[in-house]
Amino acid sequence: MRREPLERLAVPAAESVALFAILVVGGLLYTSAGGSARDTLVSQMLVNAIVVVGMQVYIGNTGILSFGHVGFAAIAGYAVAIAAIDPLFKRIFIPEAPFGLADVHLDPLTATIVAVLIVAAVAFVIGLGLVRSGARAGAVAPTMITLALLFLVYEAARNFTELTGGDRSGLSFGPGNSLEGRTWIYLALGLSILAARLFRETRAGRLAQAAREDDLAARASGIDPAVPQMIALLLSVVVVAVGASLRVQLLGSMTPNFFFFGYTLLTLAMLVVGGRKSVTGAVLGVVVITAGSEATRYLASDAVSVPGFDWLLKEGLSDVFLGGAMLVFMILRPDGLLGDRELGDRLLRRLRSAQPRPEPAEAITSGEAASTLTVRDLTVQFGGFLAVHEVSLQVHSGEIVGLIGPNGAGKTTLLNALTGVVPATAGTVLLDDHDLTGRPTDRIARAGVARTFQNFRLFPALPLREHVDIPEMVAERYRHARRGQDARGLLVAGGLWDARERLARELDTGTSRRLELARAAALAPAFLLLDEPTTGMNEAESAAMIDHVRRAAEAVDGGVLVIDHDLHFITRVCDRIYVLDQGRVIAEGTPAEVRADPQVREAYLGRAGDRSEGAIGDAPGAAR
Amino acid sequence: MTQLVQNLVDGLGQGSIYALLALGLTLVFGVMHLVNFAHGELITVSAYVAYALASWGAGWGVIAIAMIVTSILTAVAIEFLAFRWVRGASEFTMLLTSFGVHFVVAALFVMYVSPRPRNIPKPEWIFATVRIAGITFEVFDLVTIAVTLVTLVATERVLRRTMFGIALRAAAEDFDAARIMGVRSNLVIRGAFALSGVLAGVAGVFWLMRTGTASPTAGLTPLLFGVIAAIVGGLGSLGGAILGGLALGLIQVFFRSWLPSDLAGLTEGLLFVLIALLFIVRPQGFVTVRRAERA
Repeated sequence: MRREPLERLAVPAAESVALFAILVVGGLLYTSAGGSARDTLVSQMLVNAIVVVGMQVYIGNTGILSFGHVGFAAIAGYAVAIAAIDPLFKRIFIPEAPFGLADVHLDPLTATIVAVLIVAAVAFVIGLGLVRSGARAGAVAPTMITLALLFLVYEAARNFTELTGGDRSGLSFGPGNSLEGRTWIYLALGLSILAARLFRETRAGRLAQAAREDDLAARASGIDPAVPQMIALLLSVVVVAVGASLRVQLLGSMTPNFFFFGYTLLTLAMLVVGGRKSVTGAVLGVVVITAGSEATRYLASDAVSVPGFDWLLKEGLSDVFLGGAMLVFMILRPDGLLGDRELGDRLLRRLRSAQPRPEPAEAITSGEAASTLTVRDLTVQFGGFLAVHEVSLQVHSGEIVGLIGPNGAGKTTLLNALTGVVPATAGTVLLDDHDLTGRPTDRIARAGVARTFQNFRLFPALPLREHVDIPEMVAERYRHARRGQDARGLLVAGGLWDARERLARELDTGTSRRLELARAAALAPAFLLLDEPTTGMNEAESAAMIDHVRRAAEAVDGGVLVIDHDLHFITRVCDRIYVLDQGRVIAEGTPAEVRADPQVREAYLGRAGDRSEGAIGDAPGAAR
Repeated sequence: MTQLVQNLVDGLGQGSIYALLALGLTLVFGVMHLVNFAHGELITVSAYVAYALASWGAGWGVIAIAMIVTSILTAVAIEFLAFRWVRGASEFTMLLTSFGVHFVVAALFVMYVSPRPRNIPKPEWIFATVRIAGITFEVFDLVTIAVTLVTLVATERVLRRTMFGIALRAAAEDFDAARIMGVRSNLVIRGAFALSGVLAGVAGVFWLMRTGTASPTAGLTPLLFGVIAAIVGGLGSLGGAILGGLALGLIQVFFRSWLPSDLAGLTEGLLFVLIALLFIVRPQGFVTVRRAERA
């Protein structure tokens, strides 16, 4: 792995310490000017910060909207209450607790640890369900599953009164039953911020972010999002469970309503207002929302009376503020105040800009024995429509093979079937004698087949650097036999080095396509499949692309299959060409042979003889 | 046997309400890929209008019409104030926007009415029963089913026969293609919200007759069942939404009648477990869009 401990670890760690210090000092300053009410407020804010930072780990890194975190918090709250409260009190609230739980008495720290472990176990099971439901950023199924968890925990807490005390009595801590004082809160908060911030830099964190930005592109880069998402979930709920345990111990009791829709609204508002994608953002959101909600609560209380505004300053104003803040930010600034910026970004950028420029990648792979990608009788059927019909083709290492054909010929479908994006109805795909048919996209990528997309798919909110660093990280694990040199050289080769700290969403079409090509090559694949690398490019760019494709082919020392409309481009870059029409291969050969084929001219130009032979090669516009 | 038929009719009555909500949700999903968690607010707002009218002595006939009108206006207003601004935003943003609307509306009612539920006298006839072929049915179930049927037939007519309906279905199939063909996206989206408002209005009337309470979160439970039904039916599929709603109503009623009484309080909770399992087993819902549309 590339060694850059200073940037990857030291700066984020220092950043976490700074964030923690700001919260602590700010809290102390605020408390010093007022009485115990302020003290309680600050304690609550710090505990909420733990919970929100915990939520950030999952929601921020995976982009999956979870309502279950407050449900996990409720489980932790009950676990810690039931374990820690003195049996003397439990005999009052829950004398008939099952499994002899009424007699259990753990010290508060052990109880908290037990609560965290229970929650982690539940989260593991739920996490398996989320994976099974195909969780990805913005999907509805995981949101519904986690919402179901929230409601289920709430309903169970209200109905299972033998254990929980239900709605009315709840569970109250006796003296000495809970972790008291700020020390524990400080400790938990400091560790939570550090864990959340460092998680963003870990392998799992970065893979989860890539999948958040584009699920399919991540899979095509050999990433199986399930594992990083599960790791994010577990770390996330552990932090949330710690925060929730401290919250009930701070409040001194537990009822079903402590962790339900009201708390969901509060914590989600905190998370999205500051910026869910960064830990600094989550912390900032906690401060802003706490201040705002306290201010509105104060204004709405009887203590304040502003003539003419009585209609506004009423009970419930603070909830309108919370919901309104969430709504206004979603509409005007969906990434929150900070987006994905962290406190130390500027420092980090400065350190990174000083990095030495690597050599342009000559060969990022070590060049092993030549291999062959074979497609045999591949058929893809959508309902009654045969998009690809018994297509057979072969690409060898060191070759650049073109795939052309009119619109709707089935080129992209063929590529999608090859890479497991759509299922093949029949036929086989072989990498040497390794059967890839029907394997998931990420496994095919790991086996050594990387691809680009027709409407390029980048990781919009990630810097260019990450686009080669992440596949390189995958390659280290799964492509180590081939991997050789530094993949960052690909950025240099693609003319992207100077822009490496910019975000992918800021790029124009031509640059985006070059970046996508570099990302695919960074996986050290045996074969590169390029889907229309020149679409949307002007003529100069598309001419330059010829060079880039050649160089990428040399860099990976493998074979290339390239689809394009631009015949000029294809005939100049390819050694061999397959022509696809209406799902079938109608011709195959060198560019000159294919150009001379009467069947090809008919398929491409409608009627034979309409244009001179040279027109096919010289009129890229005709096919666009 | 008698019990079975009774449960069946009861379940279909319950399920009709969910089907109407799910259909509205699926229509909106079709045109803007939004799962509208603020759909329940249509019921909340119209329930408060019903409460105001009832306290002035209005009859249920007037209340029902007022509720449907309110529901339509609320749907269009929410689209205008919130959703039109996040059109084309990420799914995360749209989901959270709809939750934001829910939270704001609920908080406004807390602020300006009361956090406590308000009771509305239920109409007398909903307790009435009728014997058909030796089996006792609740009149309310039969009326719900009948009115739902009429509403669905009318909706079907609108979707199949009117220019607006054709545009809407085209947009649901492929929004960009429909736009290129000259479908005006603003009108179609607003229309989809209005139509979902009509359906939620009808559902709201029956929901309110059954529960008799208006509260800041009155719409939450029916909303969740509507969303579940829409997803079970495969989001975006009109037929699937209706089937999903009916199936959900049936499951709920059978759960309630078969579960031992000390677990009956957990009916909703168990239903959630079942639904969560369903998402895990078949995340794409039971009716995939294509099959439902072609069927």
